[in-house]
Amino acid sequence: MTATGTITLESVTKHFPGGVVAVDNLSLEVQPGEFLVLVGPSGCGKTTALRMVAGLEPVTDGQIRINDRVVTRLPPRDRDIAMVFQNYALYAHMTVRNNMAFGLKMARMPKDEIRRRVDEAAVMLGLTELLNRKPRQLSGGQRQRVAMGRAIVREPSAFLMDEPLSNLDAKLRVEMRGEIIRVQRRIAAPTLYVTHDQTEAMTMGDRVAILRDGLLQQLGTPDQVYDRPVNAFVAGFIGSPSMNLLPAGLEADGDGWAISVGGARLAAPKLLEQRRSLRGYLGKPVTLGIRPEDFGTDGGGGEIDVTVSRLESLGSELVAYLAPAGMAADTLLTARLERRASLAEGSATRVTVDVDRLYFFDPDSGAALT
Amino acid sequence: MTTTLGMRVLKALAVTLIVVWSLAPIVLGVTTSLSTQREVNEGPSHWFPHHPTTQAYRALIGGTTGEHSGGTVTQRGEFVQSMWVSAELALLSAGLTLVVATMAAYAFGRLRFRFGGFLLALLVGTMVVPIFVVVIALFKLMANAHLIDTKKGLVLVFVATLTPLATWLLYTQVREMPAEPEEAALIDGCRRWQAFVRVVIPQMSSGIAAVAAILALSVWGEFLIPLLLTQTQNAKPVTVLITEYVGKYTTNYPILAAGGVLALIPPALLALALNKRITGMLAGS
Repeated sequence: MTATGTITLESVTKHFPGGVVAVDNLSLEVQPGEFLVLVGPSGCGKTTALRMVAGLEPVTDGQIRINDRVVTRLPPRDRDIAMVFQNYALYAHMTVRNNMAFGLKMARMPKDEIRRRVDEAAVMLGLTELLNRKPRQLSGGQRQRVAMGRAIVREPSAFLMDEPLSNLDAKLRVEMRGEIIRVQRRIAAPTLYVTHDQTEAMTMGDRVAILRDGLLQQLGTPDQVYDRPVNAFVAGFIGSPSMNLLPAGLEADGDGWAISVGGARLAAPKLLEQRRSLRGYLGKPVTLGIRPEDFGTDGGGGEIDVTVSRLESLGSELVAYLAPAGMAADTLLTARLERRASLAEGSATRVTVDVDRLYFFDPDSGAALT
Repeated sequence: MTTTLGMRVLKALAVTLIVVWSLAPIVLGVTTSLSTQREVNEGPSHWFPHHPTTQAYRALIGGTTGEHSGGTVTQRGEFVQSMWVSAELALLSAGLTLVVATMAAYAFGRLRFRFGGFLLALLVGTMVVPIFVVVIALFKLMANAHLIDTKKGLVLVFVATLTPLATWLLYTQVREMPAEPEEAALIDGCRRWQAFVRVVIPQMSSGIAAVAAILALSVWGEFLIPLLLTQTQNAKPVTVLITEYVGKYTTNYPILAAGGVLALIPPALLALALNKRITGMLAGS
């Protein structure tokens, strides 16, 4: 199927009674066939944004277009969309077949066409054996498939998904991730997918939009938001374990610069050439960001003295929680180290960081300094 | 939870007590209805009639003459007619109340509109006003509208008095129900009322059945309002008719008891039929 259709939000704003701004001037466009993930902590406005696209929540200001048709004030039924809900939202009194056929019946589609589409979707989702069951006789994963089936038989202009995997157990969630992507690629309709889980966002999204307090923080491919976060919030939100964010200072060191963090001093002779926006920060505080995987136990780079507080072995790798010397007592660095790193809980040691891979943020605004 | 033997014995005892407490009056009613007037008046009274007879039932349905009935006069057909009136009143009132209350509960529970909360509080608040307070005004109102001694008038009053309770019960159910299925229906092409009819009402069916039973039972047992607003057999329910069997000097207790026993049967059947749904609603399914 060729990819057509777009979902466009233009300066969309939602005020709730009582003055709460749930979504603030949000603009984004889901491209034809694209899977765009809207991600953020709970209460960031992501679900409200999705519900406005669905027509379930009135828009305070701005415009929503689906396939270049303005739908801002249209009721849900006139928007040509399908939505998958977090708790499946199946019609409990109808069989699986009737759940999937309901939208088509409402559209007065001929009976054999309904039958054909439902059967086809059932094959795609492995539901053929379950068509005559009621939702309560199904497992969580099966219900989720029915909800997907109900959405795809409609062949809508756009798909909306509201945390469809968060009621499933971990293993099933990973399986369904793959399945949703597979189905979406096949249908090729633009999809807006809401989740609070950054892993889902990173693994599923063609692009990821990070939302905080109703404001769009960054919109980009998973690699872009991971490698070049625009601010400390995105840097801390994307990635697991989270990026370490520490207060630090920039000092002159001979011809170049050095970064002082706690008791450590990391020489960074070429820092200023690499990052022009750090120019004004000499002698001033910055927020230093270190990805857990950028720590090492041997080799070059800056060195930080730490005490090993706790170790978690994941089999393939080791996650170490390290208390750096010379910093507030409750500061813990998270480091992903090679499994064979020889560390013992409670022991003092020295870890290295790759100075070229450090992140810097303005301590007040949180903006990335690159 | 561990159940010790002592706990189980206690539980069994409690259940027995409750059963005896609830059933004893009914058993007494049944035995009285199967006795003769003479046996009832004898002392000491006994639990089981020594000469069981269906004479009281025959007199109740077929009519009596003054001599045989010990002060109570019944007329052929009037009891059956009153049973029908009671049934009609219960079903019509419950049905109409449900139509109004289901829609009102949904509106209060789901739709955002101006003064919604205030209106609901006002409606539910009327439940605390006892009917006795407005009874005289109600009588005048009904008389002016020529609705005295009509089933229509009674149904109207019952619907008005039961709607607050029914709305409130169904409102709590709407609030507990997830909104997503009806939102899915709106996206699937339904208008609001179509989603209401095709998705919301089926979802509420257990609750609606339970409330229907509560309404029908309370109308069936209603006494004061029909006593006040009826005069003839035209609209007299069985609760009112039975009281007329109490004679001025003597009363034929077997006939009175037979009326009571027969009047118990329809509500008992209704409760049995809807038992599963009612317990289902209480279990929150």
